[in-house]
Amino acid sequence: MTATRTNEPVPFHDGFVSELVGRSVFVERDGVRGLVGRIADFVVERPQDTFPHIDAIIVKTKHGELAAPIGDLTSLDPAGLVLKKAPTVVRPPDDEALYLVEDLFDKQIVDVDGRKVERINDIQVARTGGALRVVAADIGVAGLLRRLGAAKVAPALIERIPRALIAWDNVAPLHDLSPTQIRLSVTEHRLSRLHPSELADIIGELSAQDAARVVGSLDDETAADAFEHLEPDVQRSIIDDLGTERAADIIEEMDSDDAADLLGDLPEDRQNELLAEMDAQTADDLRELVAYADDTAGGLMTTDYVWIFPHRTVEGTIAKIRQIAPETEFIYYLYVLDQAEKLLGVLSLRTLLLAEPSATIHTIMDQNIVSVRPGTSAEDVAGTIARYDLLACPVTDEHGMMLGIVTVDDAIDAIIPERLTKKLPRFTKRAQRRRAEAAT
Amino acid sequence: MQKPEREKRSVAARRPKLWRQLLMFFSVIGPGIITANADNDVGGIQTYSIAGAQFGYSMLWLLIPVTVALIVTQEMCARMGAVTGKGLADLIRENFGVRVTAIVLLLFVLSDLGNTAAEFAGIAFASPIFAQYLPFLNKFVLVPLAAVFVFTMVTRGNYRIVEKVFFAFCVVYLAYVASGFLVHPPWHEILLQTILPHFVPTQAYILTAIGVIGTTISPWMQFYIQSSVVEKGIRIKEYPYSRIDVITGAVITDVIAFFIVVACGATIYAHNAHLAPGGRPLSVSTAGDVATALAPLAGKYASLLFAFGLLNAAIFTASILPLSTAYYVCEAFGFQSGVENRFSQAPVFYSFYAALIVIGGGIVLVASDALQNVIIFYSQVLNGVLLPLVLVLMLLLVNNKRIMGKYTNNLAFNVIAWATVVIVGGLTFISTVQLIVGGSSGP
Repeated sequence: MTATRTNEPVPFHDGFVSELVGRSVFVERDGVRGLVGRIADFVVERPQDTFPHIDAIIVKTKHGELAAPIGDLTSLDPAGLVLKKAPTVVRPPDDEALYLVEDLFDKQIVDVDGRKVERINDIQVARTGGALRVVAADIGVAGLLRRLGAAKVAPALIERIPRALIAWDNVAPLHDLSPTQIRLSVTEHRLSRLHPSELADIIGELSAQDAARVVGSLDDETAADAFEHLEPDVQRSIIDDLGTERAADIIEEMDSDDAADLLGDLPEDRQNELLAEMDAQTADDLRELVAYADDTAGGLMTTDYVWIFPHRTVEGTIAKIRQIAPETEFIYYLYVLDQAEKLLGVLSLRTLLLAEPSATIHTIMDQNIVSVRPGTSAEDVAGTIARYDLLACPVTDEHGMMLGIVTVDDAIDAIIPERLTKKLPRFTKRAQRRRAEAAT
Repeated sequence: MQKPEREKRSVAARRPKLWRQLLMFFSVIGPGIITANADNDVGGIQTYSIAGAQFGYSMLWLLIPVTVALIVTQEMCARMGAVTGKGLADLIRENFGVRVTAIVLLLFVLSDLGNTAAEFAGIAFASPIFAQYLPFLNKFVLVPLAAVFVFTMVTRGNYRIVEKVFFAFCVVYLAYVASGFLVHPPWHEILLQTILPHFVPTQAYILTAIGVIGTTISPWMQFYIQSSVVEKGIRIKEYPYSRIDVITGAVITDVIAFFIVVACGATIYAHNAHLAPGGRPLSVSTAGDVATALAPLAGKYASLLFAFGLLNAAIFTASILPLSTAYYVCEAFGFQSGVENRFSQAPVFYSFYAALIVIGGGIVLVASDALQNVIIFYSQVLNGVLLPLVLVLMLLLVNNKRIMGKYTNNLAFNVIAWATVVIVGGLTFISTVQLIVGGSSGP
């Protein structure tokens, strides 16, 4: 931003907060300019906007830090900022608005698009749409150097470094400060764009406090989905930080096998506390599942499956499936039970769709049932699934009573040897992401 | 619905409470002990052995207050790690901004470079002793070998194995304890000297005393213990066990320091003190001199043990220091870091780490002894400048309610901690100034 021929300073169009902070602030009245202070910070009242506009400027004066509403701004150029009148507002110490320097500089954020946790080095602002707006977060080396004052020394060097900017609508801030409602909704809304496993990766990279806060800000379902993809120790640590009621709400929403695994790792008194907070049916189901050892069919199974009575019609069944499919983990096989919950037969969704709408289930079901006992080892369950080319294997007791199903994905997880790749400090959480990236 | 028969659930939830506690304790120990032992690096061993050789037992009393100060500073960082789940470099950046972080880390890197050089120098010092038994083991063989070993073990190793290797290193430090016993020191006198503080007001004594303090409480340790606690995922619930770990570690490290001083006091100092007039006193200015000096006085085993301990300390610390430095710098400034990455994924991290080792080792192989001493000397000066700065930042962070919640320091702790900061900071500051102005050959 060099001066033009006529020595008129070029008005600010876009640039970085680090360049603006420290610039002189003048008040111009009747053609006379008086210095009142220096730019210290910028205030944003509505950070949930896509590219939020700056509402006030914090000026460091000899009377302390005072705010000037953006409407008082007459001009902004390399020489400084000119206001119509002197800043007078003192903002409250527990101000809920977002302060760019105080709340965002050097703090961690989630890059929703890149699905990573980053640290803000600098913030790009621009004059667009009739206001001064926050446009992007600078997470790169250029931003770092600018903050360290290199812009004054070697501006050309900084220009050469490739920019690492994240557009502001992909930024989900995470703060140390107790989150206000505004910030929560920003974070929650943007984070919910992530796939649960990506969300879990990000949560796994945060410090324990931040992780608990982020999970706490999500709705139960999203939190439960993310939870299912977290490592057990991260799960436990977050459960410890959330209140019992909230933890119970989230566990209720989780798939029963994952919920049972999580509960199983907790001390018994904690288990009971959490189960007591859940609805009776879920609590009962989980209590049963928790009783099984992890590496057996009982420990792997879920009670989330579709079952039907044999006298039902195909048409009626399809209608029922339409109803419950959104809530059910596994719908590709249907299990036919009698009133006493004995497993009579199985049929696949494919068979159902290809059958006559008026046929009854018991005419089309397969009565040759392949099942395992709850005590069957994980390896044997996986072997059975592989041998019979199944997507899921039912688990029954010795009387043929249906207990649950083991889905193929869980069977595979259970038998892939845990890689001994725990390396030196700080790597276990990242290792998750590395593995995930390597797998794609 | 008919309840199915239940598989008996294996172990965990049914263990009695004591078992759980012990299990938790063992899963948590490590950081404190490893950090504290890494504190006894070549510079430390050198300082302690010279303290013993030149002043006999008269510095032993320092070890008790220094241990207390060490425990206090380590505990604060471990607590910060358990409560916030963040490393010290992260906390500094988030609360004091990029500039302060840059200054702190710059000093850190420079002093670490000197420290790494000092570790490799230690290997070089110890090599003549091994060369007596296997002539090809001179410094040009041992130093590169050590550098390669350190680099590969850390970058390719599995953390569980590496942690066990580190523990093995820690056990070898007991060689100094053995050394200390082998020389048959006068225990009664030693006990007295340890408990009763007495102060010899000569410049040499003061400088050495400051050296002892400075080498025991190093800024690097604060960073390391905090990040170790974070990595092990220790939360505030398990923290009491971590505290025990920190205290144990600090005590162990100073016990080892104690034995080093004793071993040298009983041999070299006693020899010099009882010289007949006209006899030549043994002069020791490096740890290598000490190891050599032990042989005629206490037998070749004491000497060998000492040298072995030195080699052990050098490799151990050379494994930890540069790696963690590279790690903090990358984390604070947003570069990808961590040895689970391939080189192409974390180029800055790996290059930095390799550079620290190569330059550190290179200095020892290539530079003259005088130049080496200058480099090592200045790195200690930097340490002296950095330590009070880091301590002050730590105190500001640990007392910040917003960060620590209800786990800020209580009054008693703050008094001890601030006193430690003032005394340690003041002394290191004075010594740094004196060293620069006087340019004397301090410890």
